[in-house]
Amino acid sequence: MVGLFACVAVVAGQEPGRTSFNRDIRPIMSDTCFKCHGPDRNARKADMRLDVREEAIKPTRGGRVPIVPGDPESSEIVRRIFADGARMMPPAYSHKTLTAAQKDTIRRWVGEGAVYEGHWAYQPVTRPSVPAIADTSRIRNPIDAFIQDRLRREGLTSAPPADKRTLLRRVSLDLTGLLPAPDEMRAFLADPAPDAYEKAVDRLLSTRAYAEQRTMRWLDAVRYGDTAGFHGDNPIPAWPYRDYVLNAFLENRPFDRFTREQIAGDLLPRATVEQRVASAYNRLNRTSAEGGLQPKEYLAKYGADRVRTVSTVWLGSTLGCAECHDHKFDPFLSKDFYAMKAFFADIQETGLVPDRGARAWGAQLALPTDAQKAALADVDAKLAAARARLDAASTMKPSDEETWENELKDRWQAGALAWTWQHPIAARAVNGATLTVYDQEAIESNFYLDGSLKTDRKPGDGLVVASGANPDRETYVVTLKPGPGDWNQVGLEVVQDESLPGARYARGADRFLLSEVEAELVEPGQPPRRLSFAMATVNDTPPAVSSTNDPSMPPPAAIDGNQKTAWGIRFGEARNPFLALRLSEPVRTTADSTIVVTLRHESDLRRAVIGRFRLALAHDPFAWPPTGDAGRRLRSRDQSGKTTWASGLSEDVMRALRRPAEDRDQAETAALRDYLILSNPALTDLYQEVQRLETERGLLDASIPHVVTTVATEPPATRILPRANWMDDSGPIVEPAIPRFLGALDTKGERASRLDLANWLVSSANPLTARTFVNRVWREFFGIGLSRTLDDLGSQGEWPTHQELLDWLASEFMHPEGQRESTHDWDVRHVIRLIVTSDTYRQSSRGISRDDKDPENRLFSRQNRFRIDAENVRDIALQVSGLLRERFGGPSVNPPEPPGYLGALNFPKREYSASHGDDLYRRGLYTTWQRTYLHPSLLNFDAPPREECMVGRGTSNTPLQALDLLNDPIYVEAARVFAQQAIASGASFNGQLEWIFDRALNRAPTGEERSILRGLYDRNLKAFTANVSSARELLAEGETPVPPNVNPARLAALGMVARAVLNLHEFITRN
Amino acid sequence: MNESLVREISRRTFLGRGAAGLGIVALNSLIGPRLSAAAQTAARPSNGVVNPLDFPPKARRVIFLYQAGGPSHLETFDYKPKLADLNGTPMPESLTRGQQIAQLQGQKLMCLGPTHGFKRFGDSGQDVCELFPHIGGIIDETCVVRSMWTEQINHDPAHTFMNSGSIITGRPSMGSWILYGLGAEVDNLPGFVVLVSQGNGGQMQPIAARQWSAGLLPSRFQGVRFNSVGDPVLYIRNPPGVTGEMQRDSIQTITALNEIGNRTLHDPELQTRIAQYEMAFRMQTSVPGLLDMSSEPAHILEMYGAKPGDGSFASNCLLARRLAERGVRFIQLYHRDWDHHSDVRNNLVFKAQEVDKPTAALIADLKQRGMLDDTLVIWGGEFGRTPMSQGRGGRDHHIKGFSYMLAGGGIKKGFTYGATDDLGYAAVEHPVSVHDFHATMLYLLGIDAAKLAVKYQGLDVRLTGPEGGTVVRDILA
Repeated sequence: MVGLFACVAVVAGQEPGRTSFNRDIRPIMSDTCFKCHGPDRNARKADMRLDVREEAIKPTRGGRVPIVPGDPESSEIVRRIFADGARMMPPAYSHKTLTAAQKDTIRRWVGEGAVYEGHWAYQPVTRPSVPAIADTSRIRNPIDAFIQDRLRREGLTSAPPADKRTLLRRVSLDLTGLLPAPDEMRAFLADPAPDAYEKAVDRLLSTRAYAEQRTMRWLDAVRYGDTAGFHGDNPIPAWPYRDYVLNAFLENRPFDRFTREQIAGDLLPRATVEQRVASAYNRLNRTSAEGGLQPKEYLAKYGADRVRTVSTVWLGSTLGCAECHDHKFDPFLSKDFYAMKAFFADIQETGLVPDRGARAWGAQLALPTDAQKAALADVDAKLAAARARLDAASTMKPSDEETWENELKDRWQAGALAWTWQHPIAARAVNGATLTVYDQEAIESNFYLDGSLKTDRKPGDGLVVASGANPDRETYVVTLKPGPGDWNQVGLEVVQDESLPGARYARGADRFLLSEVEAELVEPGQPPRRLSFAMATVNDTPPAVSSTNDPSMPPPAAIDGNQKTAWGIRFGEARNPFLALRLSEPVRTTADSTIVVTLRHESDLRRAVIGRFRLALAHDPFAWPPTGDAGRRLRSRDQSGKTTWASGLSEDVMRALRRPAEDRDQAETAALRDYLILSNPALTDLYQEVQRLETERGLLDASIPHVVTTVATEPPATRILPRANWMDDSGPIVEPAIPRFLGALDTKGERASRLDLANWLVSSANPLTARTFVNRVWREFFGIGLSRTLDDLGSQGEWPTHQELLDWLASEFMHPEGQRESTHDWDVRHVIRLIVTSDTYRQSSRGISRDDKDPENRLFSRQNRFRIDAENVRDIALQVSGLLRERFGGPSVNPPEPPGYLGALNFPKREYSASHGDDLYRRGLYTTWQRTYLHPSLLNFDAPPREECMVGRGTSNTPLQALDLLNDPIYVEAARVFAQQAIASGASFNGQLEWIFDRALNRAPTGEERSILRGLYDRNLKAFTANVSSARELLAEGETPVPPNVNPARLAALGMVARAVLNLHEFITRN
Repeated sequence: MNESLVREISRRTFLGRGAAGLGIVALNSLIGPRLSAAAQTAARPSNGVVNPLDFPPKARRVIFLYQAGGPSHLETFDYKPKLADLNGTPMPESLTRGQQIAQLQGQKLMCLGPTHGFKRFGDSGQDVCELFPHIGGIIDETCVVRSMWTEQINHDPAHTFMNSGSIITGRPSMGSWILYGLGAEVDNLPGFVVLVSQGNGGQMQPIAARQWSAGLLPSRFQGVRFNSVGDPVLYIRNPPGVTGEMQRDSIQTITALNEIGNRTLHDPELQTRIAQYEMAFRMQTSVPGLLDMSSEPAHILEMYGAKPGDGSFASNCLLARRLAERGVRFIQLYHRDWDHHSDVRNNLVFKAQEVDKPTAALIADLKQRGMLDDTLVIWGGEFGRTPMSQGRGGRDHHIKGFSYMLAGGGIKKGFTYGATDDLGYAAVEHPVSVHDFHATMLYLLGIDAAKLAVKYQGLDVRLTGPEGGTVVRDILA
């Protein structure tokens, strides 16, 4: 409480003379009066409105005059605020009370004539004159003049400048999120030039790390995530938008252009690919694919999200509050909310946004390289030609077709098309897993069928089950002994089971990926003979040529000889996929022959390894894979399941064959026709050619980045939804418009577009964008905004401590008068450069308790100290240890995550798969932003899930952070590798410690620190020497190899020292 | 309301209580046995911002047995013989016209009678589905509210609304609000713990971590999920090869180094950091003991039907009691798989097997330990299910009426409150909104829901929303 009053005294008490409405009265009234006596007509009580002067001085219907200017005692509001009991205002039920001082202030203001002022943030931005300060010793640029002017009036003085080490560390962290490298620090310390610091700043501003840091903050605001955010929370193609932002900041794109491209890039004349990528901004809202959702409800949610985001990020306003009712405190009407929403009504979208299949995520933009574009055109042309050839060849006369159908029916009834399930005589895994064959032995299966979990216990009938060790990659070798026969196909059924974490198929990940299937025939006494496959088909219906719904994981990838491509399934609730592989030529087996089938999982996705499967053989080359319903064995009356469902024809074809041609529906007719083409030996070559090209096209397309994008369509009408009720269509239709009190767009009678909105946002007619932006930027460099409330510059927001400075910066942002030649309008880098080169920025942060007058340092008489952001905690730990891999942009990556963290997700059920290699050590910015389960080490350090727009993160300080820095494997690995590097740098402990301090803290250790850490080292060295295996365990954490020639106990002990340093408050604090 | 704390929140740089309260205590002294929860809690009713409490508290902690997916009220607590009579006939349009429904949208609406019988249980003679005899056995301890209703019809938003009172994400969950209001009773465990289990029967709907997020409150108020696989608390295990002794040595060293800065800097964040490392170490030492059920006698394990470490709802119920004993303020158990769009009849058998016995055991066990009086136990989900059938004998999501069961912590015993109409469609007698439920829960904890607010974007954000909720006084003991 002391702090509160002291602060109010500083900020509001500067001039004891006349009251000011904006400074003294509006904050009180906004908090305590406007809810019932403000802009919201529907909530207004006693017909009394106090936020507008002409209303406040009129008698109410009850005949009372709220405010009689100059006559407090006749003013109803003064009487009521001094009243007791039931007449007292604000009333007890509001839980608001006025202090005696506040009451006096209101009385004084009425007495002085009740002069109203417009709210500061809604006034046009004018360029305040820079205060003249006689003593120029602390003035480096106009920012300092505003700051010094206020400090002087408050009788405060600036802290001394920070020392050079602190300063470079501070500005490096602020601008780039990384620490100065030791040689950068040495060069800076050694540079005697008066502009040494400015040179360092310019160097930092031109780095990619600077663009990364700016991008990190922008992504919070625009709620960028890599997943949908609702329900299944599946990955959305969004990262090219992130790269657009990176490049925009790297080249210091003017903020007005940056704004236009994101909100309306698709509407710009001759929109470039980059501008259309930027327009993905409109599609970054959370979306749902939950079955049974009501599209209209979700369209209302998506629309409201867009209004909240644009009003928070650009307008610093809480227009989102007006979704249900007129704003209680600011002059936003409910109509303004829906008029803003109407700008975005033209965006093509659906309420249920599919997360799989051909229509996944709605409109997408492909981003091929020139080479990819050419390859795609090439394969498309070939594919069209091949399809034409197949079509031309596949006409058949009706009478022939009838004959064919009859023959097919006969063969099917005779069982000639059936698959023969195999009971392997041996099965082993190469990399450590255990394979068990269940044949006559009973095994429990758990799977979903018709929406509920079924448990079934029966003989395995050839089921192969993996258990035990679970390596990232695995190869299964299964030996079959089929007995005498002629075979044309090898079949693989992937069996779903609830016990499997990866989409119920795989032992990890969110899918299985089968890189390659190989088969060999082994005859006694002869060398094995490799069998080659000609074609791969799966049991999707109808049996079209293209036989998978995910072109990035096509069945033929399992027989293409390429270990990097794979057949896989990600979504397949309650389905058992069956892969039918046609042999290039038939194989004959005798009683003693065996066939050895090898299943390779060599994908980069860890543990996308099949957990349960069966193998089958078919005599007929065109036997269709059995239906995929996971429950069919359960329903099958035949315990072995051999006859009722492994029949060799798809269900549609079977249905078609059972009825006369004229009774067949379209699907049945098409299925039969497709099967006719498939099974015509004369067409096999043409068919295979089409399939080969489709596979090639699918894999090529999957290698091309995609991004969700904005496509404009005819906008549906936008209605005001009474109390935000999306089922209520009774509200009036509104046209797109900016909030009315801020003006109107002149669109010559045309419907205003998103481009009109964007243009207005960055026009001088809008008082809010520049103020909002510079306030947000200020916070990054001082830990607090000039107004504390970054997301609300309105009545309920905090009045800026330095309103004129805020306005000057806003003005300088829009139209710089600075002298640097490269400067342009809306120049982000220019504003940041101004801030970090000011004397105010360069002050020391020491002395928090120095002066009680301003305990929160709202007047900036010193710098502030604060913890660095979540991503940067990771970044600098990787940087100092030498692990950081700097790569600008690209797909998001998956640093390791604790097991089971995604266990409460479904559709698909999944287990996290960490990246490999360099992708383990990228900056935090590039971590996959899983919105419903953000990576725990980011979440622990206050990174927002970005389900909603967020400006101004918290900086909490929790035990979970301590556990994270102490025990998270990435920090354990970083500490060990840091120690490895230190050992490589020099022999003695002292030298190594200095090396560690130099990199991590940019200074040398003190004697006291040295002795404390020496103690830690010695104790650990003793323990690890006594138990070298524990040292080896510690060193084994992470993928980075341990040098062979190093003493494990010494390395582990020094690793413990490095770990202590990485855990220091100083390490993660910017001061 | 503590103004300076509110200001801290808007500043978003939160000082741990440790900064002012704990000071720097030699770590060694903190590693010894903790005081019993009872001894600790006797001292102070609140360590949070609501201090003193607004009302005399009836409950000191909450165990929320959250049945995720939407349990059918028609096959648990809300017996509707009339619906049985109409089984297979069209649902009266007068009830359903203009109402929001989920997957049944545009389909013919047919009544599905209760798929299991009901029986009267206890001296209070309450109707409970016969699948739940154990719950029936403790029904005299409980109050069943049959007139709950909510506003969100899909799982994810409905969970969010039930937990945070808002559908806009970023709002604090109820556990966070309570922890913020009352503080923790314990300093070696998180004050808000989440446990998730799953069983058989019904689609496993996903549950987002936002359900236990602190939202706009500082993240130290967030729920901490205890996992049944891997580390029980993320990153709580020492790195491989590092013993507890070495870990303590490291933390002491870090503290000693941080103390050097603390001598000159007077940085409250630094003081907090030191305290948080101490707390982290206490968590590391206390969590294994918490999870070690070997001290539980066989009859207790049998009572719950718990196999320690199996991650089942039964094990979690037993763990909930252990957490409650240690002073954890808000314990939330999510049990998944209640989403019975088809075959509600058979799926409920699975669910009953999983939850009936442990739910009853928890209530009975709390009672025999004298803890039920100040522990509020809540059983319910994000919504109910339609009286209309869907697909093969299933029921769709339903928001207009469903049931909650409450026990202990100042709740009237052996009592039924509110009612749906004859077909179990809409709450017609004493409807209880989610915000009313929240207000009542806070009231029992001694908090006035209208006053527990933080300023955000110019508004007083509350668990009970801008309109607030009404305490359901009729169900208070």
